[in-house]
Amino acid sequence: MENIVAMPTSKPVFGNGERANKLKSTRFGSKLVNDYWSGVFAAKEQGKKVVWYNGTYIPPFFHSHDLVWVHGEAWSAMLAARHREIGAQARGEQRGYDRELCSYARTHIGQMLIEMDKAKAGEDGLSLDDPRIEAMMKLPPPDMIVNAYPYCSSGQQWDDITYRVFGKKVPMFTIQIPLLWGGRQDAGYLRGEEWDQRSRYVADQLIELTKFLEANTGRRFDFDRLSETMGYIKRAAELRLEGMELCTARPSPASFFDWIVSIAPMSFLPGDQNIVDYFQGVKDEIQERAANGEGAVKDERYRLFFDGMMNWNKVGWLADKFAQVNACVVAGRYTHMSFWQEPQLIDLKDPVLGMAQNYLVCPNNHGAPIMIGEIEKLCDKFELDGVVCHASRTCRGMTNAQFLIAGSAKKYGRQAMFFEGDVADESFYKDELLNVRLEAMVEAMEAKRRAA
Amino acid sequence: MDQILNLMRYAAQSPMDYAAAWKERTGRQVIGLLPMHFPGELAHAAGCLPLVIQDDAEPITVGQAGVFNFYCGFNRSLIDQTMRGSFDCLDAIMFGDHCVQLLGTADTIRAERPELPILFNQLCTTLDANWAERETIGTFTQLWKELESLTGRAIAPEAASASIALFNRNRTQMRELYELRRQGRIAISGRDMQLVVKSSMVMDKADHVALMDRLLREIPRVAAGSAEIPLYLSGHMCHAPKPEIIDMIEECGARIVNDDLFVGWRFIHADMDEARQPVEAMAHWYLEKNQRVPCPTRTMQGVDWEDYLLSDVQRSGARGLVILMVKFCEPHMYFYPEIKEAFESRGIPHLLIETEHEEMPIEALKTRVETFVEIAKRRATEAA
Repeated sequence: MENIVAMPTSKPVFGNGERANKLKSTRFGSKLVNDYWSGVFAAKEQGKKVVWYNGTYIPPFFHSHDLVWVHGEAWSAMLAARHREIGAQARGEQRGYDRELCSYARTHIGQMLIEMDKAKAGEDGLSLDDPRIEAMMKLPPPDMIVNAYPYCSSGQQWDDITYRVFGKKVPMFTIQIPLLWGGRQDAGYLRGEEWDQRSRYVADQLIELTKFLEANTGRRFDFDRLSETMGYIKRAAELRLEGMELCTARPSPASFFDWIVSIAPMSFLPGDQNIVDYFQGVKDEIQERAANGEGAVKDERYRLFFDGMMNWNKVGWLADKFAQVNACVVAGRYTHMSFWQEPQLIDLKDPVLGMAQNYLVCPNNHGAPIMIGEIEKLCDKFELDGVVCHASRTCRGMTNAQFLIAGSAKKYGRQAMFFEGDVADESFYKDELLNVRLEAMVEAMEAKRRAA
Repeated sequence: MDQILNLMRYAAQSPMDYAAAWKERTGRQVIGLLPMHFPGELAHAAGCLPLVIQDDAEPITVGQAGVFNFYCGFNRSLIDQTMRGSFDCLDAIMFGDHCVQLLGTADTIRAERPELPILFNQLCTTLDANWAERETIGTFTQLWKELESLTGRAIAPEAASASIALFNRNRTQMRELYELRRQGRIAISGRDMQLVVKSSMVMDKADHVALMDRLLREIPRVAAGSAEIPLYLSGHMCHAPKPEIIDMIEECGARIVNDDLFVGWRFIHADMDEARQPVEAMAHWYLEKNQRVPCPTRTMQGVDWEDYLLSDVQRSGARGLVILMVKFCEPHMYFYPEIKEAFESRGIPHLLIETEHEEMPIEALKTRVETFVEIAKRRATEAA
């Protein structure tokens, strides 16, 4: 099914008409991502087994076992970012998936159905120069399915459907990453009895995952290689955090949107020297900008926090939108509270427990009090004026606590705003609603500043 | 029989009033249970009234400030009830599910009612994992301790065993009623069957058992054979569908013969093994009941909801399936195409009705259901 919707090439005039001053070093990431997908498409020709997975950043286990991995969310996000999601979603809807269902899942399942349609019609086996491969529209089918979703029940059900679409024959392994509710007396961020119990529980399941991989490949799992892979990831994560730290500068040298485009290297790209180089490049550029007083937004006047899942078909659009009112979105829950956010927990001699703990601290897997406490720390650290909540229609995992988050922002004197959209279904995004709300938010922040 | 149903109706329609009166009368604590899989037996053994929290009929008003409108009606109702103070008589809430919407609701209740203890113990959802039994026993053991701490009293294993036996008896009674309905030996409306199960989720268990004894004795037996087309209801995995929908389906010429609704067969189908230690019995009950009535929120290979429905529709003698899907219920939205295709491939008529907390256009739905009933009748005639 072809995507027949033409996207507008020009944007309506809004605010000062400025564009976001994006980091240039992140372009290296595009090459890495393209190389990664090329590797995925070549997997079967190279005789490699393919794992489809959803949820947290578990690829180091696959990388260490010489497997090729496909992240369903990354696939859907990539299709959405390239405005190629509509055909996939339409195919899903044709089978009966309601549009209120997670749009990541609808895109992924829909594209899966398209590929199966082709296979049934004898149209698979496309050559490598096929334009659909260029457009990254063809995935090798899975030899294994792994599900490892913190917090969100929808993710587990999505993989159950993947398992069914492939005829209930592909071996599947489901890891439970339970919510850290934080209700016991000693509960806190990275501490308490519940934290210790849950860390061990997830770590035990990860060890079971290595046995599952062994059983389905006939090869022993190499824990030394896992440590080696995690060495690169840990270093990249440290560099990323150091780069983020530099954004306390005014103007902020990088924005939330730069960190959004830097998710792939932390989330699913191979743990090797490339990701270290990527984040070294990002940090160096940020350092240079900070020294020169160059901001991610020209004439930065307001500094904001972004709460919620990214609207993947609007990344550049939103980056410019905020720049047009001199607002720099400096930090966000999705970018700053996840993706190997606590690298010091990883002991390279025995990394599994620390990996489990990083999986547990994903941006929505804490009960609201602890999670909101961490958001407030970020808002204080980066001296933010307001919180923008993206009410992503089909991603309830990220919208769950947003009324409480907005309430907390207001309690601490920050402006709060909601706008509607979705992770991968553009039809839920209403541009003019964002425009008027953002203008009103800016007015309110300005008035508050004058009054002070 | 009317008197029995009236007593059940009061508890089912005004659960919090019932609970407040019970609390006043007994001086004991009331524990709210969130669906779908947490056993009330433990709270009962602790001397409390376990009450499965229900959606109510009120439109969402103040709750709008705490939840988005793209959440299911049950979650929105829970938040609305919290903000209206409807849960004031609860002494604690037990949460155990992993439904992403319910997790958000748990946090909102905590924020709105910080003084209300929430005993949050998330159940293992990978039921065929080799750690599932160990983890589930751990979860119920933790809950046991938390209940002891809440009430300030130890729960004796013998008390837990007695509660298990009492709950088993109650479920057995309701299954007997279901079986009589399936066989066409009693004429009980879908609305009244819902009352029976819903009141069992709310009432003092011993009282409900006594009422069920009377109901099973007193409910009039009828001759088998009916002009109505037998239908099966499926869906609504957390709360009861509006009785008006069930009334409407029956008014269209259908007779409900079975269901897999949460406020229905899903709630009563499985007993706990009285020969086991109580915590072990609860863990096995939880881990094994999915094999009997699959739940799409659990993962277990080799167990399929659509296969279960195909076989249970056939076993019940139903000539069609009415799927009641709660708007915004993600697990149901994922699995609906599986069910649809399975029923289409077998040529069994099925009808999807999306239900909402508010704005159910019953008259508009009626046209669809009437048509469906006609199709089901014609297919049944052709098959005969």
